[in-house]
Amino acid sequence: MSFEYHQPASVAEAVDLGARFGAEGRFLAGGTDLIIQMRRGKLAPRHVISLHRVPGLDGIEVNGAVQLGALVTHRAIERCAAFAGRLRGLVEGAEVVGGHQIRNVGTVGGNLANASPAADVVPVLLALDARVACLGVGGERAVALEDFLLGPGHTACRPGELLIGVAFGMPDARTATAFLKAGRRRAMEISVVCVAARLGLDAGGERCVSARVALGAVAPTAWRARDAERLLEGQPPTPEVFREAGRAAAAACRPITDVRASARYRQVLVETLVPRALARCLERIRRGAS
Amino acid sequence: MTHRTMTVVGKALPRFDAPGKVTGTAVYAADFAVPGMLVGRVLRSPEAHARIVRLDFTRARALPGVRAIIGAADVPDVRYGGAIKDETVFASGKVRYIGQPVAAVAATTPEAAEAALAAIEVTYEPLPAVLDLAAALAPGAPLVHEEYADYTAIPVFHRDGNVCNRARIVVGDVERGFEEADRIFEHRFRTAMVHQGYTEPRAAVAQWDSSGTVTVWSNTQLPFEVQNTLAEILQTPPSRIRVVVPGIGGGFGGKLRVGVEHFAALLARRAGRPVKVATTSEEELTAAYPRQGAVIELKTGVTRDGRITAKSGRICFDTGAFAGSGPGVASVATLVLAGPYRIPNLHLEGLAVYTNKTNCGSFRAPSGPQSNFAVESQMDIMADALGLDPLDFRLRNIVREGDEGPTGQVLHAVGLEECLRKAAAAIGWHDRRPEPGRGKGLACGWWTTTGGSSGVYVKINPDGTVALNTGAAEIGTGALTGAAQVLAEELGVGLEDIRVVSADTFATPFDFGAQGSRTAFAVGGACRAAAADLRPRLFALAAAQLGVEPEACTLADRHVVAGGKRIALAELARLSQQTGGGLIAQGTFIAPATTYDAKRVEGHAYPAFHSPSFHAHAVDLSVDPETGEIAIHRYVVAQDVGFAINPTYIEGQIEGGVAQGLGQALSEEIVYEGGRVLNANLTDYKMPTMLDMPRVESILVQHPGAAGPYGAKGVGEPPNIEPPAAVANAVAAATGLRITTLPITAEKIALGLRDAQAAGT
Amino acid sequence: MSRLGLSLTINGERHDVLTEPHRTLLDVLRVDLGLTGTKENCLEAECGVCTVLLDGRAVNSCIVLAAQCEGRRIVTIEGLAGDGGLDPIQQAFIEHGAVQCGYCIPGMILSAKAFLDERPEGTEAQVREALAGNLCRCTGYQKIADAVVAAARSRARGR
Repeated sequence: MSFEYHQPASVAEAVDLGARFGAEGRFLAGGTDLIIQMRRGKLAPRHVISLHRVPGLDGIEVNGAVQLGALVTHRAIERCAAFAGRLRGLVEGAEVVGGHQIRNVGTVGGNLANASPAADVVPVLLALDARVACLGVGGERAVALEDFLLGPGHTACRPGELLIGVAFGMPDARTATAFLKAGRRRAMEISVVCVAARLGLDAGGERCVSARVALGAVAPTAWRARDAERLLEGQPPTPEVFREAGRAAAAACRPITDVRASARYRQVLVETLVPRALARCLERIRRGAS
Repeated sequence: MTHRTMTVVGKALPRFDAPGKVTGTAVYAADFAVPGMLVGRVLRSPEAHARIVRLDFTRARALPGVRAIIGAADVPDVRYGGAIKDETVFASGKVRYIGQPVAAVAATTPEAAEAALAAIEVTYEPLPAVLDLAAALAPGAPLVHEEYADYTAIPVFHRDGNVCNRARIVVGDVERGFEEADRIFEHRFRTAMVHQGYTEPRAAVAQWDSSGTVTVWSNTQLPFEVQNTLAEILQTPPSRIRVVVPGIGGGFGGKLRVGVEHFAALLARRAGRPVKVATTSEEELTAAYPRQGAVIELKTGVTRDGRITAKSGRICFDTGAFAGSGPGVASVATLVLAGPYRIPNLHLEGLAVYTNKTNCGSFRAPSGPQSNFAVESQMDIMADALGLDPLDFRLRNIVREGDEGPTGQVLHAVGLEECLRKAAAAIGWHDRRPEPGRGKGLACGWWTTTGGSSGVYVKINPDGTVALNTGAAEIGTGALTGAAQVLAEELGVGLEDIRVVSADTFATPFDFGAQGSRTAFAVGGACRAAAADLRPRLFALAAAQLGVEPEACTLADRHVVAGGKRIALAELARLSQQTGGGLIAQGTFIAPATTYDAKRVEGHAYPAFHSPSFHAHAVDLSVDPETGEIAIHRYVVAQDVGFAINPTYIEGQIEGGVAQGLGQALSEEIVYEGGRVLNANLTDYKMPTMLDMPRVESILVQHPGAAGPYGAKGVGEPPNIEPPAAVANAVAAATGLRITTLPITAEKIALGLRDAQAAGT
Repeated sequence: MSRLGLSLTINGERHDVLTEPHRTLLDVLRVDLGLTGTKENCLEAECGVCTVLLDGRAVNSCIVLAAQCEGRRIVTIEGLAGDGGLDPIQQAFIEHGAVQCGYCIPGMILSAKAFLDERPEGTEAQVREALAGNLCRCTGYQKIADAVVAAARSRARGR
C-alpha cells in the first residue's frame, strides 16, 4: 500500500482533487472496505483523498423527504430517532453491518460506492426508491439507486466524482419497512441472503397499494424482485399472498453458489425470508408503529 | 488425599498474570522487538503439486532494504518432523501444497519485504495432485512422497505410500461379536478441516550473538522441542540455541512445532541482524497446523436389549502434505472410537493419509471431536432404532471402576456415570422433545492426560515470596496459576506469594510442553516434589532456631510452626542465604506409565489414556424448520476433573472448549477446491462471536486420580470433544434429520428437511 | 514516498510522529510509539484485537490511517488505569476470571468501555451485542460478559 495522501477541507476541494486524479484516485471515508481491499492488493490507487475533514456531508435531514449525507455512519443511522417508525428497516439494515467498530466509522456513502452484492443497507435504500447524488466539476446529478449499481464493486459514479448523499421520499402513512438477514453466524457476517421489504396498505388496511421487495446476495447487485412486487400490489396482505410473493422472488432470482452458500439454499432463504419480512411490515402497520 | 483443610488449592483465586494482561503490559511474542530488527516474510507455493524448475533471487536482491534472501540451496539439507522426518525448511525439488514455503526474505520494512517477495522469480511445472482421501488412497495414486520409505520414522508405524501410518486396536473376535448381535448398524461420517483460531499470529524473533548462539523469542507451546528441532535445522548444538517464550496469545496445539522460528533464525544468521517473522491471517488459514478432516466408518453390533457386542471401524485422517501429528492422531483416534464403553470385540483402525494440502497438526484433543462425532452419533441412532432411551443405552454400556479400557488398561476413578446423570438431569432429559422443532442431545466421552516429564526449581526469598521456575509455557489456560496454587498449598503460603518464571530453555528446567492437558497436572506434581525436597531442610533449620524437634514442625500461614512457637519462612530464607546458600529446591515429575496389553495394538503411537478423564455434554436447542438455523437454549457440561485445583479456570476451559467445539459443530471449515483454500480470511472462516455463544453450565465432577496433584486430571482438551455429537443428536431429536457431516450448517438442515419431505420420509 | 508530520493525542499525551501516509494508527501505536498493548492479528477489521477508542468510539485501528487521527482523541489500553488504580472494567475482568491468554483483552476492555460510557445500565444481551466485533478463542465469552455486567454495576456504585 503506497499512495499520495490528500485531506481536503471542503466539498469543493474534494471535488477538485477527484477531478484532478480521476481513476487514479479514491475517496476514503471510514476505510472499512477501501483499506482492506488495498491491503489485499485488489485496489491500488495512487491518490487517496480522505473525506474526514470535509464538513456538511454527515447530516441526516428529515423533512418530507429524507436526505443522508455520504458520510453518515451506520451508527448514526442505527440511532436516528426519526427512523424508528416507517423507516425501521433502515435501522435494521444498519445495525447488522459488521460489529460496532465497523459501524462507528463505516458510512452509507462508502457502502454504496463499494457496491457489494451482499451489502445490508443498500437493499433497504432500494426498497425506498432512493436516489444517489454525485458531484463532479461539471455539477451535481442524481441517479436512481437501481441505475447506480452496475455490478460487484461497480457503480455509475464517474471517475473522480464524489458521492455526496442519498435521498428518498418519506413513505406514506400505513407503510412500513423491514429488513432480515441470514448468515452462518449472528454477528460480523456478510449476508448469505438479505431481504428488505416495504409495504403500504390502503386506507382500510385491506389491500397492498405499494410493495417493494429488494434482495441482497442473490444477484451481482442488490436487486428488486419485481415479480413479487407486482404480485403483492392490489392483493390483501395475507400469509398466503406473502408466501406467493416469496416463491415468485425465489423463482426470479439467480443466486450463485459460493463458499458461503449454495444457490439452492439462497433460493430457499429468499422464499422463506420475503414472507417473513412482509409479515413484519404488516405487523408494524397494524401496531400503528408507522 | 490429605485430610487437612485446603487453603489455596480448590479455591477460585484470580490468576497471577491477569493484571499484566488487563493493562496491556504483558508482552507476547507478537509484540516482542529488539533494536535493529529486520522484517522477515515467506514466499509460498501457488501450486499444489509441482516441480520447481527455476528459482531466481537476482531481481529481488537488488531491491532497496533487502538484507537476506534464502531458499533450499542456502540452508542445511535436513529433514525434520515430529513422528516422521519428512519436512524440509523450504520445498526442494518439488512443492507439495499451496502455501508451502519456497524462500524467505529479511528486509528493513514490511513494504520492502513484500516487494522482495514479489520480485522473486519462480517457475513451476505442475504434477498430478491428490486432493482428497479418496484420490490419495486410490490404487496407483500419485505419491505425495515418492521417497517415503527412506524417511526416518518412529519404528512402530506402518507406512505405505500415501498412508503415513495405520494404527490398529484388535480385541477379541469382531466377526463372532457381530454374530451375537441382533442388529448391526453401519454408518459413515465426515468432518472438515478446522483451525485453532488463536487471536495472536505465530511470531518469532531470532538474534545471534558473537559466540554463535541464537536466542529465539517465540510463542511456541513447546520451547524445548523447538530448541531440538532448531538444532537439527540449523545444524547447531542445542546448547547454542536458547528459546524463550515471552507470552502466548492462545495455542490450542497450533503453536507446538516450528512455524516461523526456523525462518527467523536462518534469516538472522544470513543477515547478521535480528529478524522477526510473524504469520498473516491468510498464512494461518493456508499453511499452519489445523485439525485434520476425517472420514469415519463405524459398524457396531448390538443385542436387542441394548448391549454392544462388537465394533469395527476405520477413521481416515487427511493429514496433508507432511505427516505432522497425523500418525499420532490416527493412533489416539482408535481409543476415542472405542469410546468409554465395555465392548468385548473390537477392530478399530486409524489412518493418516498424505494429500497435497496443508500439513495438519494437533488441535485441542486431536482426533477427539472427529471420532467422538461418529461414535456418539451412532449411539443415538442405535438407541432410537432399538426403542431405547439414549441415556439408558449409554448407562447400560459405559465403563465402570475396575473395567478394562480398549487396550487392556484398568480404569480407575471413573466418574462417567455421575457425569451422564448430572448432565442429563441439568438439561431436563425426561422431556427430550419439549415442543415441535426443539430437542435435546447427549454425548459422552473420555480422554487422556498426556504424560512426559516436568521439572521445577523453587527458591524462598528473604521477603517471604517464593520463586517458581518452570520450563512450561503459560498458553492461557491458567495452568501455571494452578501449579502455583499447588506450591503455595504445599509450603503454607498464599498464591500471591508465588513469583513465576517460565519457558526459557537456558534458565528453566525441562518441561515436556503445554500440550495434552498436562501442564497443571505435571508442573503441579513437580511442585509437590520440590516442596517435599525443601520441607526437611526448612524444618531442620526451623527446629534449630526454635529449639524443637523437626518432627514437630508443620507449615502454615507463611511460617514453620511447632507447638506454640513459629518462625517466618522469610526469616529462614534470610538465615539460609547468610550461611547456607539459600533455601532452594528442585522437583521433577512424571506420571507412572499406564499398563496395557501390547498384543492388542499395532502401529500404535498412543496405546493407553493416562489418568483418563470422563465427560458428558447435553444441549437443548431449537431448529427453524425453514431456514435451518439453530438456537441453543441451554448447554451443560459435566466433566470429571479428578480434583478442581481452581474452579474458575476449569470453568474457563469448559466454556472456551465448548465454544471451539460449537464452532466446529456449526460454522467452521477450511474449504478447499482444487487444492486451494477458498476462505483464507476471517471474513469467511466463521468462528463464533459473543452473540453466537450460549451460556455454558459447568458441573465439576471429582473422582480423584492416583497420579495427579490432589487427584487432578487434565481438563483443557476434553470440553472440545463432545459438542459436535451433542448438537447432531439434539438436531435429530428436534427434526428427525440426522446430519452426518460437519459442520452442521443451517443450509444442510434446511435442504435436508426439504429433501426428506419431498421423499416422503 | 513523502512522509507526513502528524500530531497525535494518545491517552492525553501529545506524540509527534513522521510517517508514510499508508501507515495505520495500529502501525504507529505499536511500532513507532512502542505501545504494544493494542494488539495485531487479522488486519482486516474482523477480529477486534486492535480496538482503540477514537473520540470515545470503538474503532479497529488496523484500518484507520494514522493521518486521519490528527486532532482527535485516542485512548488505548495503556490509558485506562489511573492514579487511583485499575479501571473498574479491568478490575472486573480480573475478578470474574475473564482473562485467559489475554490477547483479545485490551480490545475487549475498550469496546466494553465505549459501550458502558454510552449505556451505563448494560444488560447481558446488550453487552454481547456490543462486543460482537471482538473475537475471543479462549473463554467462550461467558466470563467476559459477566465481567462487563459486573463492571456496569460497580461503575454505577461509584467504584
